[in-house]
Amino acid sequence: MSPSVSPSGTADPVSWAVESSMYRALAVLRVVVLLNAIGLGWYRRESLDHPGAAVAVLAGMAVWTAFVTWAYAAPQRRRAPLLVADLLVALVAIAASPYIKGDDLRATLPGFWVMAVVLAWAIHWRWQGGLVAATAVSVADLAVRSEITQTNYSNIFLLMLGGPIVGFLSGLLQEMARDRDRAERSAAAAAERARLARVVHDGVLQVLALVQRRGAELGGEAAELGRLAGEQEVALRALVQTQETSGAGAPAGQRDLAMLVTGLQARTTPKVEVAVPGNPVPVAGAVAEEVVAVVRACLHNVTDHVGSDARAWVLLEDLGDQVAVSVRDDGPGIAGGRLDEAAAEGRLGVSESIRGRVAGLGGTATLTSAPGQGTEWEFTIPKKGRS
Amino acid sequence: MTSTPQGRSPRPRPGGGPGEPERREIRVMVVDDHPMWREGVARDLEESGLRVVATAGTGTEALARFPAARPDVVVLDLQIPAPNGVEVTASMVRDNPAVRVLILSASGEQQDVLDAVKAGATGYLVKSASRAELLAALLRVAEGDTVFTPGLAGLVLGEYRRLSDAPAVPDEPDTPRLTERETEVLRLVAKGMSYKQIAERLFLSHRTVQNHVQNTLRKLQLHNRVQLVRYAIEQGLDDDLER
Repeated sequence: MSPSVSPSGTADPVSWAVESSMYRALAVLRVVVLLNAIGLGWYRRESLDHPGAAVAVLAGMAVWTAFVTWAYAAPQRRRAPLLVADLLVALVAIAASPYIKGDDLRATLPGFWVMAVVLAWAIHWRWQGGLVAATAVSVADLAVRSEITQTNYSNIFLLMLGGPIVGFLSGLLQEMARDRDRAERSAAAAAERARLARVVHDGVLQVLALVQRRGAELGGEAAELGRLAGEQEVALRALVQTQETSGAGAPAGQRDLAMLVTGLQARTTPKVEVAVPGNPVPVAGAVAEEVVAVVRACLHNVTDHVGSDARAWVLLEDLGDQVAVSVRDDGPGIAGGRLDEAAAEGRLGVSESIRGRVAGLGGTATLTSAPGQGTEWEFTIPKKGRS
Repeated sequence: MTSTPQGRSPRPRPGGGPGEPERREIRVMVVDDHPMWREGVARDLEESGLRVVATAGTGTEALARFPAARPDVVVLDLQIPAPNGVEVTASMVRDNPAVRVLILSASGEQQDVLDAVKAGATGYLVKSASRAELLAALLRVAEGDTVFTPGLAGLVLGEYRRLSDAPAVPDEPDTPRLTERETEVLRLVAKGMSYKQIAERLFLSHRTVQNHVQNTLRKLQLHNRVQLVRYAIEQGLDDDLER
């Protein structure tokens, strides 16, 4: 089914999905830094001025960690009030530290736990959010300290860098996810369009084929209409078959020779029937174009020598490292001796030029002909061209 | 493919020959979703003395009418409302291995044609073929011959190459291969030569050329059936198949 157009507005499921993953990772980080804070608090329990208050603050942090883990899990709850409250809780925990630990404060009670809110802001409000939250936490941290050591400065410096960087990456991830989503949507839409086109083309081809048949039977002016319908039928069928093979595509720098050769069916003089393998035949781009040009030259030759109502067949085979291409016509053919005769008279100019072009590709060309069997060119050409 | 009650074995028949007049009435079913086309083909065939026993516009209709209509030949479009031509071919050939399926396709989408042939169709024509060409093809398919276009021959050649290039699976020694002669014949078909021209070039009888061409399809169809059965067994569906 055709994908529906994405709903406009802020509701963007792709960004939500990215945010949700990041918040899940943040939840794990929060628990780790919480345990770290609790552990350090326990380790320094002797030096605390108010151990009771410390327990209360740490318990509060634990409850808050549990609450925000739940709260951040759903996109519709991730709004300004939650983020602001998260920041305020962190600031309060920092502000309570001098009272709990005494005036000679070397480390705040929540410690690294406060980085979680900075990252939460960064995820939601990108680098700007990360910067604002990091500044708020840093200012609060500096305000409660009696002296600022080299380590304090390093921690704050890292926090001020980390917030915006994570925010920037969050934005980048969301954009990439949206791009990928768009690409997937357009690929699905293209596939659906191709399917619809096939249905439509099939219908048109049916009608053209029918007009062609009936026209031929009715004769007169209808026969002319039938002939025109037949020409269009051939051209459209060649196009449909070409598009069908182009879907699989060829690697960079290469072209699908099967597709290019199939396109030759659109010619009306001579009438060409093409046989190719069902799968793409990737060949170096320049080689593919030259092969098609050589086949065109052969077909042109058929029109010149056999007539405009001549028929021709082109067969392409994939031999692994090489391709085999043959071009055959249903002309009267040439008797063995006549070929040499013609060459001697210098009348094989076109043939010599075809041979030369194939040799230029590092391939070989053979011309076979017999009376009543038509004339047939067969080329074997390395896919990479002359090495 | 087993020989059929009507004796339409793909092998040469002792008394059969091109000179023998057509005695038995050929029952034909025409499946195509375009009414105009379906009726046109049916009328052409009737006028040529064939008996059109049923027509259908969708895969479901075709399969529903198939058992009672008992056609000898089904003229089938590939692009029909589900189930598609490939599935219809497989289903009909499974129900009655004697039935012949002639694919008549407008666009001749390569993979579809190849799949239909692997599923058991023995003839393929594009719809722009003239009335005479269609009739000739239908008579030949009814005889048990295969009707190859150069395009189909190219696809079959490519399919054999793909199968032989695929990495060998240890428990799959039965990857079909063409003999040198079969490859030679198939290449000439792909170059647009008639069986008569091929027979002249290779110093073979017309019938031998035909047999070589038929063998190339039969091996592919057999391989396809083996693959399907193996898949069914792997999926634990073999109990259902035996029923």
